[in-house]
Amino acid sequence: MKYDICIVGSGAGASPVAYTMAKAGAKVLVLEKGPWLTEQDFFKDELAISLRDVYTPKLEDERHVVEEEYEREDGSSYWQGESTEESGWSFWNGNVVGGSSNFMSGYFHRLKPVDFKLKSTFGAVKGGNVVDWPISYDEMEPFYTMVDEVVGVSGKVVKHPHQEPRSKDFPYPPIAEHAVSSWIDKAATELGYHPIPVPRAVLSQPAMGRRSCEYSGYCSSYGCASGAKGSGRAALLNHAVATGNLTIKPHAKVFKLASDASGKVTGVHYYDRKGKEQIVQADTYVVACQAVETSRLLLASKSKKYPNGLGNTNGLVGKNLVFSAGGTGSGDFFFDEMTEQQIAQLKQVGPFVNRALQDWYEIDDQMFDGANKQGKAKGGTIDFLFHQNPIARASGSQYGEDDELVWGEALKQNLKTEFTTYKTLRFEVFNDWMPTDNCFVELDNKVTDKWGDPVAKVRIGFHEQDLKVGEYLSAKAETVLQQLGAKNVSSSVSSYPPTNLMAGGCRFGDDPKTSVLDRNCRSHEVENLYVTDASFMPTGGSVPYTYTIYANSFRVAEHIKQQWQAKQTA
Amino acid sequence: MSFFNSDYKTPAWLTKKLARRQLLKAAAGATAIAAAPKLVLAQSSKIQLEQALKTDPWLSLQAVLEQLLPESDTGPGAKSLNATAYLFNVVNEQPIEPEEKSFIFKGIGWLNGFAQSQLKKNFVELAFDEKEQILKGISKSRAGHNWLNTLITYLYEAMLTPPSYGGNPDGIGWQWLDHQGGFPLPPKGKRFYELPGVYKISVKNVTVEEKRKA
Repeated sequence: MKYDICIVGSGAGASPVAYTMAKAGAKVLVLEKGPWLTEQDFFKDELAISLRDVYTPKLEDERHVVEEEYEREDGSSYWQGESTEESGWSFWNGNVVGGSSNFMSGYFHRLKPVDFKLKSTFGAVKGGNVVDWPISYDEMEPFYTMVDEVVGVSGKVVKHPHQEPRSKDFPYPPIAEHAVSSWIDKAATELGYHPIPVPRAVLSQPAMGRRSCEYSGYCSSYGCASGAKGSGRAALLNHAVATGNLTIKPHAKVFKLASDASGKVTGVHYYDRKGKEQIVQADTYVVACQAVETSRLLLASKSKKYPNGLGNTNGLVGKNLVFSAGGTGSGDFFFDEMTEQQIAQLKQVGPFVNRALQDWYEIDDQMFDGANKQGKAKGGTIDFLFHQNPIARASGSQYGEDDELVWGEALKQNLKTEFTTYKTLRFEVFNDWMPTDNCFVELDNKVTDKWGDPVAKVRIGFHEQDLKVGEYLSAKAETVLQQLGAKNVSSSVSSYPPTNLMAGGCRFGDDPKTSVLDRNCRSHEVENLYVTDASFMPTGGSVPYTYTIYANSFRVAEHIKQQWQAKQTA
Repeated sequence: MSFFNSDYKTPAWLTKKLARRQLLKAAAGATAIAAAPKLVLAQSSKIQLEQALKTDPWLSLQAVLEQLLPESDTGPGAKSLNATAYLFNVVNEQPIEPEEKSFIFKGIGWLNGFAQSQLKKNFVELAFDEKEQILKGISKSRAGHNWLNTLITYLYEAMLTPPSYGGNPDGIGWQWLDHQGGFPLPPKGKRFYELPGVYKISVKNVTVEEKRKA
């Protein structure tokens, strides 16, 4: 059968389109590479979420090539690729129905008006490809509100210097907070900062056929067994399937979109579970398989009309890939320096820390030595959190003071000390990853996946400004931990990308010469092709991506729906 | 080959595994064979382990695990954590790299070879202090270090994974370390390698006999 719309991928970028179109009455097909797991398959199992390959492919089967810059003795540099099969550094995230939204922490901070106009606000940056977005925050706002209601966001709007304009408060009250949240509030307020409750895509009350959060204390990268976490699967695809209009095909690995002489996509080619090639057709095609794989798929979809890849006549597909810059830091609280009550509060497991600082979402500080010489720069967000994974925590306890291997009573003593004498409070810094000519996706010309297709080569160059901003924000976050009396306060700002936070590669814009997609995220060249994951973003903002991916995908879905409805009545 | 071969290099599977653990600390085949994974039932796996423990490699592996994490009044050891049963689950049910499985078993041969050369006895026959002496001896070689480190990593898992994997009975590992386990925990039938459609059997993981059948 021919579908009205075929969507490649099933995560945060795909599911709003599937939801909107299935509800409108269109026949929708979703092709997902991974299996279809449900609440009955998600457990608090550290082996499943990080220590074994469960939700992501084995790197022997499917890999990436990552290109890093190396310096020669004479100071010149060159780029050298390494297969992730060799390095063990996986760039995969959540290859299951619902994608990596199943495994997100669900920090739902919105972009702010300034994120839509970085170039006109802060000026061009040498070595950076910063541009304004073709749309404004005001055009996105109604769709953030739609996400709040349909996906389910819990939170509370508070006044702070960088609070973005909002048409409504959150539909669900904040989820329960850890005792340490009030410690952070006190310390940060004493420092003159404005701590804010973190909006979370986690239901604080049962709604829409989903249970509310059950506070097991393990959230973030764990799949949600209650349905409270607003994954694309739990929040949207389940409802879309219930309309009878959505077909989800798991274990369907798309490798090519075919196109004809007129320039339209004519079919999707995929491998089924047994490795057999299949073809399926639709009127409209949507690609949303996370930034790197989306660019890879378009680049691999060559035809007579598009010898450089689908919609890539201007050569911009895969370019201006971004991640999330920033870093992490921590401070330790030692129980022997604390009261019984403080220890009891710290040891609490279940509720969320849920505190963030956005006081420096825009930096305006003469001491800041960035690209803009007036000390103005785009800053970012600081979030506080605890880690809970015990096997990760135990790792390293087998080493003695001289890094020699220890076992027996010495090992037991190390474990006991590690687990029972202190607790670490952590923070994460999110700031913009400047788009540059040295961060992009191409097809690798040697390395292939298990089906024999060229894998994505990812060059991960960064801009110095990102490190400066990350360090500035980390230093601010450290002051909060110091004020709290934490020991061993430290942070680490790295130029290495967090592989779960990726965007760009198919930036949208009004000029077909300088962008891949138009303002509706339709290919400038290919009239029946849309891209609805984070690939569209010309700059990434300073918050995790999922909220904005959802909002934009709902925005594009509205456009696709209107096009489809117009065709029905015509 | 022994732990002390000078041309031993840390193999790729271990480098990768260590790299992944380091990352976490800071933060199917050419053709998939369309057959159901060979799941060993809990009951029969217990009997299998009892059978296996009568001889090597499991007899010695159990002795090494109990030496690495001894039972004492400071807390549970390998024995009460069912660490041997956990490792038995790892090598027989979990989708482990064949190279790693073979390394774990080869190490037992090398260990006993070394014990024989030093003290004219197999490892299990040694007194506590003699066992320490032998483990210290092999830990000085790269291969021996890697082997012991691999077993210690599995001891952590035996201590801190959900009990359905065979270790950490009634959560005693969590209790000892004052750690609160999560919920829901995977029951048997929902362990990571039993989830629907997740565990793809790669040709490498199928025994020779099954390959011939296919």
